[in-house]
Amino acid sequence: MKRNSPKKMIKLEGIAASPGIVIGQVFKLTGDVIKVEERDLQPDEISQEIKNFNKALETTKRQLFDLQSQAKTKIGKEGEQIFDAHQMLLEDPVIIKETIDLIKKLAKNADFVYYQVVQKFQKSLEKVDDEFFLGRVADLKDVKRRLIRNIQGGKKMPLSGLTQKAIVVANDLTPSETVLLDKQKVMAFATDRGGKNSHAAIMARSMEIPSVVGTNDISELASSGDTLIIDGINGKAILNPTPSSLNKYLKKRQEYDEETKQLSKLKNLPSRSLDGKDIELSANLDFPDEVTSAINYGARGVGLFRTEYIYLTREQLPALEEEHREYARVAKKVAPHPLIIRTLDIGGDKNPCYIKFPEEENPVLGWRGIRFCLENPKIFKSQLNAILQASVSGNVKILLPMISCLEEVHQAKNIIDQVKGELLSKKIEFNENIEIGIMIEVPSAAIMAEHLAEEVDFLSIGTNDLIQYTLAADRGNQHVANLSKRLPPSVLRIIKNVVDAGHKKGVWVGMCGEMASDPLATLILLGLDLDELSVSPAALPEIKKIIRSISYTDAQKISEKALQMKSSEQIEIYMRNVFYTRFKKKIV
Amino acid sequence: MLEKKVTIKNSQGLHARPATQFVKVAAKFQSQIFLSRDGREADGKSLMNVIALAAPKGCELILKIDGVDEQKAMTSLVKLINNKFNIIETNDEKK
Repeated sequence: MKRNSPKKMIKLEGIAASPGIVIGQVFKLTGDVIKVEERDLQPDEISQEIKNFNKALETTKRQLFDLQSQAKTKIGKEGEQIFDAHQMLLEDPVIIKETIDLIKKLAKNADFVYYQVVQKFQKSLEKVDDEFFLGRVADLKDVKRRLIRNIQGGKKMPLSGLTQKAIVVANDLTPSETVLLDKQKVMAFATDRGGKNSHAAIMARSMEIPSVVGTNDISELASSGDTLIIDGINGKAILNPTPSSLNKYLKKRQEYDEETKQLSKLKNLPSRSLDGKDIELSANLDFPDEVTSAINYGARGVGLFRTEYIYLTREQLPALEEEHREYARVAKKVAPHPLIIRTLDIGGDKNPCYIKFPEEENPVLGWRGIRFCLENPKIFKSQLNAILQASVSGNVKILLPMISCLEEVHQAKNIIDQVKGELLSKKIEFNENIEIGIMIEVPSAAIMAEHLAEEVDFLSIGTNDLIQYTLAADRGNQHVANLSKRLPPSVLRIIKNVVDAGHKKGVWVGMCGEMASDPLATLILLGLDLDELSVSPAALPEIKKIIRSISYTDAQKISEKALQMKSSEQIEIYMRNVFYTRFKKKIV
Repeated sequence: MLEKKVTIKNSQGLHARPATQFVKVAAKFQSQIFLSRDGREADGKSLMNVIALAAPKGCELILKIDGVDEQKAMTSLVKLINNKFNIIETNDEKK
């Protein structure tokens, strides 16, 4: 056998979709290839061919039902809905009738005829420039491949070739492929396409399979059997690594696994400073299925449950009943700890396809969050209704986003009271004393925090927008990104004022922005006397470790000192030094 | 057989999303369901066919239903069309 010279190492940058470091062999998924050959049929073969076609239809229908129920168990309601259109397209009477008519008329084999018919419809769909149509095209392709395989005598699905542990590499993973991934064999996966919130990425996180998506061309470059490193933390994929990079990653993997083990020991310990001061650590969730991993990381409750996914992953407004069930499911899981549900915060950059937003010159300063909800009371009331109904399933609280003035709080509370009244009159149970809080993320609200606090039960500081609005700098804009610092002194002062204002009025103050998950900020936040930090689940153990390693009095001194500093550079250097002296560890 | 003239009221017309809603509801009934626009007839249970009608806002269509549950099907589908396929439009879009 001829030996090939070692393959060249290729480093690929992608999007970190699900964390973990994995080293293994590539299994290339070539699900895209279906071969269809044209055959002439004898007149006496035609009726048998049509029977075969109908049989394949039935088989496919069953497979789809099966997939749909697997998706439901593995991912929940969202998973189930991904397959909604598949059945409709498979059973489309026009496609079926045209196929059967053409088999008779042309006397050709079913897979060939079906392929031609679907191709025609697919082309007409592809011409329409609409995101929703493109989604249907992908569904149609998925259905087409499946049915053709079944016509051709139930050829094995490409994933069934996976007999030993490997890293799956594909151009893209369809929902039906992802849901079939067997965690026992699939160590990780990497794809050319997809983003952080594509179906495959969401499923990977809930199944805890490390993965990198959006690498652009890994499926072109890799062959089955190649060695591949998946760095699902930094979104890197390294194909055919040199011995030295392999060693580097073996070490990294060991460190990562060791760290994960260490941190899991922390899980059941309280987040309490050395001198006994408790600060609640809860998790931020984008999707309900992240709740399991949040609890595993040791979260006591959910400090920010973003609800946009319910609206963004659907093609119409969610049904009240459906929404209520979703909230109740999460509330039950975290009870008796709180589930803080933030009401819809769309507008700006995230909009559902079925709600048309006006063109805005300055969308982040525009019609978003509570501003949108107050003007669309039908949508707002339906969500509040779902939240209130879920409030009997656990410890549910309401959080209102983008509050900028007192009037908005009054209006929102008024609407909440209306919904409560409707529920009362219908004798539907809910928690009448449900806590209502507001996000402090707009500078005007931060300045008026003391007065706003009189109206509500808690305040939650959202630092991402607060920094952006305070410094008037868009983080995503590279020309001004350097203004958007990690620890701006202006924002630290604002935070202090908000905490003091809240405490003066007897309400608790939490933080759910990115700063809460930043280890460099933890000591300052503890010293400022925040009552709660809601962090991204994976960051939680490290934050807890920091809190447990210091006394509150020391943290107070550190934050006092940091708050006297005049520039963010100075604060950052100071905090890095403090961190290094205390933990003998540098911070990235 | 029942026949009724209906008008598409939602601003984007009978495009992909409303068509999907329509087919979903239509598929629940046993009756045959057809939509026709200027003599072009679409099978109301075929997403491909309904989309191909490309009926814009204000377009008049004839809804024909034939079968055992035609009365129920007519009521449901007319309601769906009049409710703009249950798709919410913001104030801005209505203008």
